[in-house]
Amino acid sequence: MKNLRRFFLRFYLLFANSKVEAELAREIGTHLALLEDEYLRQGMTHEDARRAARLAYGGVEQAKQLHRDERGFQGLGQILQDTRYTFRQLRKSPGFTAAAILMLALGIGATTAIFSIVEGILLRPLPFPDPGRLVILGDVLEGSHCTSCAHSSVTAPDIRNYMRDTQSFSNLGGYRQRLFELSGTGEPAAVNATRMSGEVFAALGVPPLLGRKFTQHEDEEQQQVAVLSYGMWQNRFHGDANVLGSKIFLYRKPYTVIGVMPRDFEFPLNPGHVNQSELWLPLSLQPEAFSAGSAVSWNSRMVGRLKPGITVEQAQSDAQRVARETMEDYPAYMGSLRIHAVVTPLQEDTVAQARPLVRTLFFAVIVVLLIVCANLAGLLLVRAIRRRREIAVRLALGARAGTLLRQAIVESMVLSITGGAIGLALAAGALRVGVSRLPQTLPRINEIGLDWPVMFFALGLTLLTGFLCGLAPAFAATRTSVNETLKEGGRGGASGSGHARLRSVLVAAEIAVALTLLTASGLLLRSFEKMRDVKLGFRPDKTLAALYVLPHQRYGTQSAIDEFTKTLLTDLGELPGVDAVGITSFLPAGGNNWSIAFTIEGYVPPKGAGLNMAAMSLVESDPFEALGIRLLRGRVFTESDNAGSQLVAIVNRKMAERYWPGQDPIGKRLRRGLAETSTPWMTVVGEVDDVKLGSRDAETMPQVYQPVTQSVASEGVLASVGELSGADGWIVLRTRMAPEQMEDTVRATVRKIDPQLPLYQTQTMEHAISKSEAPRRFNTILISSFAIAAVLLSVLGIYGVIAFSVALREQEMAVRMALGCQRSGLVLFILSSGAKLAAVGCGLGLLGAVAASHLLRSFLFEVSPFDPGVLALCTIAMLLLALAASALPARRASSTDPMLALRGE
Amino acid sequence: MRETTWMSNKEKESIQLLQGTLDLIVLRTLATMGPQHAYQIATRLEQISDRLLNLNQGTLYPALVRLEQYGWIKGTWGRTESNREAKYYAITKAGQKALGEETQAWRRMSALVERLLLEES
Repeated sequence: MKNLRRFFLRFYLLFANSKVEAELAREIGTHLALLEDEYLRQGMTHEDARRAARLAYGGVEQAKQLHRDERGFQGLGQILQDTRYTFRQLRKSPGFTAAAILMLALGIGATTAIFSIVEGILLRPLPFPDPGRLVILGDVLEGSHCTSCAHSSVTAPDIRNYMRDTQSFSNLGGYRQRLFELSGTGEPAAVNATRMSGEVFAALGVPPLLGRKFTQHEDEEQQQVAVLSYGMWQNRFHGDANVLGSKIFLYRKPYTVIGVMPRDFEFPLNPGHVNQSELWLPLSLQPEAFSAGSAVSWNSRMVGRLKPGITVEQAQSDAQRVARETMEDYPAYMGSLRIHAVVTPLQEDTVAQARPLVRTLFFAVIVVLLIVCANLAGLLLVRAIRRRREIAVRLALGARAGTLLRQAIVESMVLSITGGAIGLALAAGALRVGVSRLPQTLPRINEIGLDWPVMFFALGLTLLTGFLCGLAPAFAATRTSVNETLKEGGRGGASGSGHARLRSVLVAAEIAVALTLLTASGLLLRSFEKMRDVKLGFRPDKTLAALYVLPHQRYGTQSAIDEFTKTLLTDLGELPGVDAVGITSFLPAGGNNWSIAFTIEGYVPPKGAGLNMAAMSLVESDPFEALGIRLLRGRVFTESDNAGSQLVAIVNRKMAERYWPGQDPIGKRLRRGLAETSTPWMTVVGEVDDVKLGSRDAETMPQVYQPVTQSVASEGVLASVGELSGADGWIVLRTRMAPEQMEDTVRATVRKIDPQLPLYQTQTMEHAISKSEAPRRFNTILISSFAIAAVLLSVLGIYGVIAFSVALREQEMAVRMALGCQRSGLVLFILSSGAKLAAVGCGLGLLGAVAASHLLRSFLFEVSPFDPGVLALCTIAMLLLALAASALPARRASSTDPMLALRGE
Repeated sequence: MRETTWMSNKEKESIQLLQGTLDLIVLRTLATMGPQHAYQIATRLEQISDRLLNLNQGTLYPALVRLEQYGWIKGTWGRTESNREAKYYAITKAGQKALGEETQAWRRMSALVERLLLEES
């Protein structure tokens, strides 16, 4: 208690110092006076009494110091004193202070904001207990050349076999994410749901908020139970605690709600924030899933928890053993397929694709911060040079170098802490607005925010920045030569050349990193431009798209489905303003990566070529016309291409060129599956343009189109008993008016046919394209804005150096002019010193650009990281800006009146 | 100049003040004599120690500020008989209590040391 009280008092007294000091002086004064009185009484002379009193009291200053040490924390006290001194100094130069703080605020704020993304996505452990033991198990299909192999997947028989036969996992289960029609509570709507084995819940190990999770047993029993996400529970059930036991309808089948998961539970950890699972249902694999085509559909994934002591490698070889057994049991029609089991840590699987982007952003923002630091150090150095005389006098009067060092550091600390505080506020604001605009390719977006680790990072960054920026001027101050400086007197010769050199180095470094960032931004902009030039293969204007999925409960027969589709197409076609209408199973620009293997008649693949994969679209009516896909050869499908007639297909140009190079593809034959798969031949009747199924910068796939009515027939042995086709599809409409205006009409048309059927993701094609371009746009905008900031800052830096050196050498210039130097010569002289700095910086910057090229390569599209045009343009721009920055001080110097300057001496 | 009291001297009998004892002496002085200013306390100390303490009067100040921060004594400005302003220190309730405890502790300690010394001799 007494110590606590004392602690606070000692702290407080640091701030009440002057008052206490005065009181102490009074007290000591009295003490001495009383002692003196005593000695006077004893008969001493005044002078003797004074002396005796002093002797009896001891050293007054020592007593005061003892008192100070006792009453307050002295180390702190000195820093406090320095801080006060700094505040006084800064108040005297508000321009410098504002510029420095603003720069720091931007630098630290931007870095903190980006770091919070790094932390949320890459560094924070996954939100499950002991996340390091969670792994993804999947197959890599030999020869599939799949672009999405970062996400290995499994088939239904795989799930059964791995779960049954592996020994390395304490829990292991399969899952797949699907769109579901939800009804029974309010408007029918589309929800994202995950079907998964009961074991998945056990592996993740997160307890439910309400109720319970389903078990593996319930999964195998095909129980119709559902676990809700927190968001779903809040939005659809208003957080009602009595939700347990209530019924919801998914595709019009009843499910019982048995639990609610906590707010921060998220699984699968998908990129973006619109694809998150809102419901979890038992996987409940049906017998059909193990036969025919379904058995060769890699449409699910598996997650598991490693047993204690088992490594990822051990688990992988265990799984590989099971994979070999699985392959031995493959039916004849898939006998040549080869798979490899792959075990990846869940963390790696989640962040692998986001890592390059996040790393590059962090790299870019660090570059900006470095430039800020260099600029600030430069500004502080200028102040140190300006105060050279003051510092010399203080050194002459006995100030210790340590004190000067401390003051310099304190000054830059005060600046950086103020800047850091403002920067943190800026980062908080930026995150509030920015997180919702992050590209959908980033996972775990909801976890991004200013939490404690980020705060600590910002604090550390602030202190480090302050310390580093303070070092240069601090050493400059302590290295001031007292003698030289005082001798120089007020004359501003070309002195302090050592400091000037340090500043020049700083500025050259700034220009170098700024140029590195500028070239990066230039390359990204060029890539963006190139991407915009890529032909989509379809006309996105005036096109509307919407997805429907027919629930099996009501559309259980092929005739019911066909009836619906026919009515839909007729009704839509009769709408005023509709030019063409069609249905396709895959929407261009929608990010499809679903492809299947084909066998091509007469095509002998080169050795090691792997499988002939192509993206398959099932179409109905005329989506080619509706989407504006150009027909290059042959014909489109007609009414007469139906289940009973000859099987037909349309291929894209890429497919035709790969398998029938230099030939007319019309009349050629291909079939689904591998050579050993028994499927009927389809005849090519048309060739169309290449269509971008994903984003423009993605590779174009070979594509095959088929009438949906013929799909079951063409599957041959792959078709399962009672398989239906056409139960889902994208409606595409080409309209004469703005497509947005048609949305409600289309909805009403569908509702007239089936009042309960919702339409999903109704959107214009232009919107779909802009969505697919969003990630690249995001990278480009962010990196470019960092580059602009970097360039501006470094131009400011070069201006500062030149302007200051010109100001210092005013008299020198005046003398030169008085001696007959031409004004133009003077301008040239100053410009060349700026150009020299810029040239050195640009040289280093180009080296930096080469060094950064491997980091950047994955973000570029059809642009080499050494694109000479971009590199040259950026370098020239940087040089010109640097020259412009030195031109201003040069003009000012040349317009000084030599007489005035000389008289000023 | 006659030989004075608090001057540091090199007499053999001079003793060093034990850690913490100055606090006790100051508290005790204030408890028995009422509010005192620094000079009075110093004079008192000199009297009772029979000039054996090797101490400057200024040494008293840190002890005073420490005790004040503990809340054991409280200083107020007043006037001396000779009409000089001086800071008078008075013992507080907490100080009284602390004095009691410290005295007990001191007694136990000195008794212990005494016993030890007796055994040794």
